[in-house]
Amino acid sequence: MNRYEMAGGMVLFLFGAITALLSLRMPIGTFRMAGAGLFPLCLGILLMVLSGIFLLRFLLKKWQSVKKEEFPSEIPGSAMQVLFFMGTMILATFFFKILGYPLVSFLLMVALLRILGMKQWPFNISLSLITAIASYFLFVQWLKIPLPKGWIGL
Amino acid sequence: MFESVQQLASGFTIATTFYNLFYCLIGAIVGTLIGVLPGIGPIAGIALLIPATFGLHPTSAIIMLAGIYYGAMYGGSTTSILLNVPGETASVITCIDGYQMAQKGRAGPALAICAIGSFIAGTIGLFGLVFLAPPLAEAALAFGPPEYFSLMVFGFIVLSNVTGTSLTKSLMMAIVGLIIGTIGLDPVTGDARFTFGSVSFLGGIEFVAVAIGLFGIAEVLTNVEKPLEMLEQRVIVPRLRELYPSLQDLKKSITPILRGTGIGFGVGLVPGPAPVIATYSSYMIERKISKHPEEFGKGAIEGVAGPESANNSASQSAFIPLFVLGIPFAPPTAILLGALLIHGVTPGPLLISQHPELFWGVIASMYIGNFILLILNLPFVPLFANILRIPKKILLPLIILFCITGQYTVNNSVFDIGIMLLFGALGFLMRKWAYEGAPLLLALVLGPRLEVAFRQSLMISHGDFGFFINRPISMVFLLATVLFLVIPLIRMTLKKQRRGEVKQ
Amino acid sequence: MMKRFFTILFVLSLIMVMPIHAVGFPTKEVQVIIPWAAGGATDLIFRALAATTGKYLGKAVVIVNRPGGGSAVGYTEGAKAKPDGYMLTSGVTPLTILPHQVTTAYTYKDFDPIINVVSDPSMFLIRADAPWKTLKEFLDFAKKNPEMITVGNSGAGGGVHLVALAFEKAAGVKFNHIPFSGGGPSVTAILGGHINAVSVSPPEGISHVQAGKLKILALFAEKRLEMFPNVLTVKEQGIDFAMGMWRGLVTPKGTPPDVIKKLHDAFKQGMDDPVFKKNAMDMAVNLSYLGPEAFGKLMAREDEFFGKLIKEIKK
Repeated sequence: MNRYEMAGGMVLFLFGAITALLSLRMPIGTFRMAGAGLFPLCLGILLMVLSGIFLLRFLLKKWQSVKKEEFPSEIPGSAMQVLFFMGTMILATFFFKILGYPLVSFLLMVALLRILGMKQWPFNISLSLITAIASYFLFVQWLKIPLPKGWIGL
Repeated sequence: MFESVQQLASGFTIATTFYNLFYCLIGAIVGTLIGVLPGIGPIAGIALLIPATFGLHPTSAIIMLAGIYYGAMYGGSTTSILLNVPGETASVITCIDGYQMAQKGRAGPALAICAIGSFIAGTIGLFGLVFLAPPLAEAALAFGPPEYFSLMVFGFIVLSNVTGTSLTKSLMMAIVGLIIGTIGLDPVTGDARFTFGSVSFLGGIEFVAVAIGLFGIAEVLTNVEKPLEMLEQRVIVPRLRELYPSLQDLKKSITPILRGTGIGFGVGLVPGPAPVIATYSSYMIERKISKHPEEFGKGAIEGVAGPESANNSASQSAFIPLFVLGIPFAPPTAILLGALLIHGVTPGPLLISQHPELFWGVIASMYIGNFILLILNLPFVPLFANILRIPKKILLPLIILFCITGQYTVNNSVFDIGIMLLFGALGFLMRKWAYEGAPLLLALVLGPRLEVAFRQSLMISHGDFGFFINRPISMVFLLATVLFLVIPLIRMTLKKQRRGEVKQ
Repeated sequence: MMKRFFTILFVLSLIMVMPIHAVGFPTKEVQVIIPWAAGGATDLIFRALAATTGKYLGKAVVIVNRPGGGSAVGYTEGAKAKPDGYMLTSGVTPLTILPHQVTTAYTYKDFDPIINVVSDPSMFLIRADAPWKTLKEFLDFAKKNPEMITVGNSGAGGGVHLVALAFEKAAGVKFNHIPFSGGGPSVTAILGGHINAVSVSPPEGISHVQAGKLKILALFAEKRLEMFPNVLTVKEQGIDFAMGMWRGLVTPKGTPPDVIKKLHDAFKQGMDDPVFKKNAMDMAVNLSYLGPEAFGKLMAREDEFFGKLIKEIKK
């Protein structure tokens, strides 16, 4: 067990607590006629108990052996890469309906390839173009999936 | 018995006519393709092709549509093995060891053993379908709300720790899955739960989005985090003679395949989440009885062979309630039921006696279809395995595009893509913090059904908990669950005592 | 021989090329939301209708199941869909029931009617080996043992649930109502003997009545069924009670009238198709065509009726 696992345990405890609290706002009912909140309330409490045990065991057994290492405060270059990657995907999702599938798939490919270090633009763009056209024909033309047409109307 | 053999023979004469063979082949090819694409599963595949069967003879139409169904089951494991992207509920478990095999350059044997296992499972499953369908359908009816609840509890507790790490952590993740499963409208009272006033949450969280997120997207993000120079490297390129399983691989796989077939066939009769329970159980059993359990999770071929076979025979036995009772237990068979209606065949208890040519023709064609799929899939193995030759810096964006497109096709929903990305980020963090996604996915599938069965049972029994123990099938499952939890504790205390004695 | 050859060519061309069709409605497949799980009555009927209508519409009609919340999930989605005629919803009795029971994001007024397809009496089914031979025995037992007889329905607040509640009132008894997620699961439960009776509306369970596994205990119709002429209605047995389900198609409010007309015409042709007629007969459903205007009036009438009924029950 390491510090990260403990952090996970804390998050889970919090998640359980929030679930239980939100469930209390719903009708609870009785076991004979359970309301909507009963099942989630039980789950929230159960998760709190389990993560509580988990954290306690951790504290009792491993307190001494844990090194006093800090969480990395400086984000290394590669973690930035993940953030860029994630950000691009979120943007693509956001513009999915507005710009339409063919355009979004092309732009998404260009951006993701660039983030992963594809620096030669001609190669990047032609590869993205081929991918976008191929997936357009596969999904829209052949499989007839109603993907958004969007701005360019394809 | 003899009558069945005779009718099966007449079924084969129907299935082997040129046209029916042709439709069987088309169904198998289209099914495989649809299975390979993430997101588009057998349900969408069959729905897309139903219009193409207008004007066909009903038997030919069902032969083709059934071909798509089991063809998709064959193809479903491909992206799990190559890219860690589970396209459907049934192929989540295949990701665990299948992907590890591919990372070690053994994508070929993994893909091939899926095809072989599926073929064996399909063949045996069909014999079960021919000789045992009516009694098995009766057996399936014995499962009422209390039995269902106890089975779900059993599956939930026993299977949540499928990969055998920490039971506490697995259970915690499983409960998170159950909580996520409660999002949406309460199935009994209709109240909105955890929807935060948004309509998008009303329908609940889509399973495929969570599965692709936790496995596929998280895997891509983990790769992206590595320094750029490492992305230039390729995955270990498979050598040609390693494309197919060795004799040793086959030897290792044969008993898991047979066990998986048995498990899948039995579990396939349970309404709803059969593929998940079947594949998880098979994996769990193979890991428990293996002589080298430490290899599981690092590319054990048994961890691919067993679940894939279980998945396929479960999809065979799913036809039993459809043909015998006229009630579909799973969405793909529900679509097939629609197809039957379209062709003027009313499914129900009288189907086999009223349309024997259809029932036996389809059964025989399923056997032929399985054979076609084996022949079709083995040559595809090198082709698919070579996808891994693409450099990672190109492959990773392609996977993302594939996942986003595939996810959209499931419900035509951009919201689902968002959910997929959210769980992708979550899965990325979970990997860092050493938490597993598999128990969460299991619980997400079982949760809603578990809750409904629990509440129905207590409504029937007027709040009496004894109901669960008074019913024999239900009691067996609950007892097994208790034993599973208690036995390790007893073992631990015994070990401690012994150690104590030694010290003294 | 030639015909078969061309069928194959047709299938191949559909699979391989899938050409784009000319402009004008419809340019793509039309989806129909079924707010229940696959295998229930509404699902079965509209799957059969979708199949025959595709031919006349020129594009496939695709069934989309959106179960949950006693149909609220599907109707919410249907009401919020773009009013362009590509996302229809099956308008069934609960559309005029649920909004009276819980706060929903929609009422029947959020939809434009297209066509009514089916109008069916509801019924109670019991197992053929049940201890009650007649409705009278059943009700006598229920009177002596209130809340003991379990009656399944296809979802809390759904049509057949309300029928059971209303019948309870008319007959002066109390049942124990068990909700299932659709007609398929509730029929499975009675086949397995996990509940005593089930409230359904054809075609649910009909094939099992034909096979002799289940029997009709109470038929809430004005007249007897053609398929089972020996089954008495409850009216004939002295309880003044009849109730049924209607099932039609609706589209979000604001759909262009010419699109509604095209849809109505295609579905009407689909209804008149001999294949659909035979299917409907096999399923024992009662076809009852109504055009947009008449269907709209029916919905308004039913909405008022259920509004009153629910207020009374809640007292």
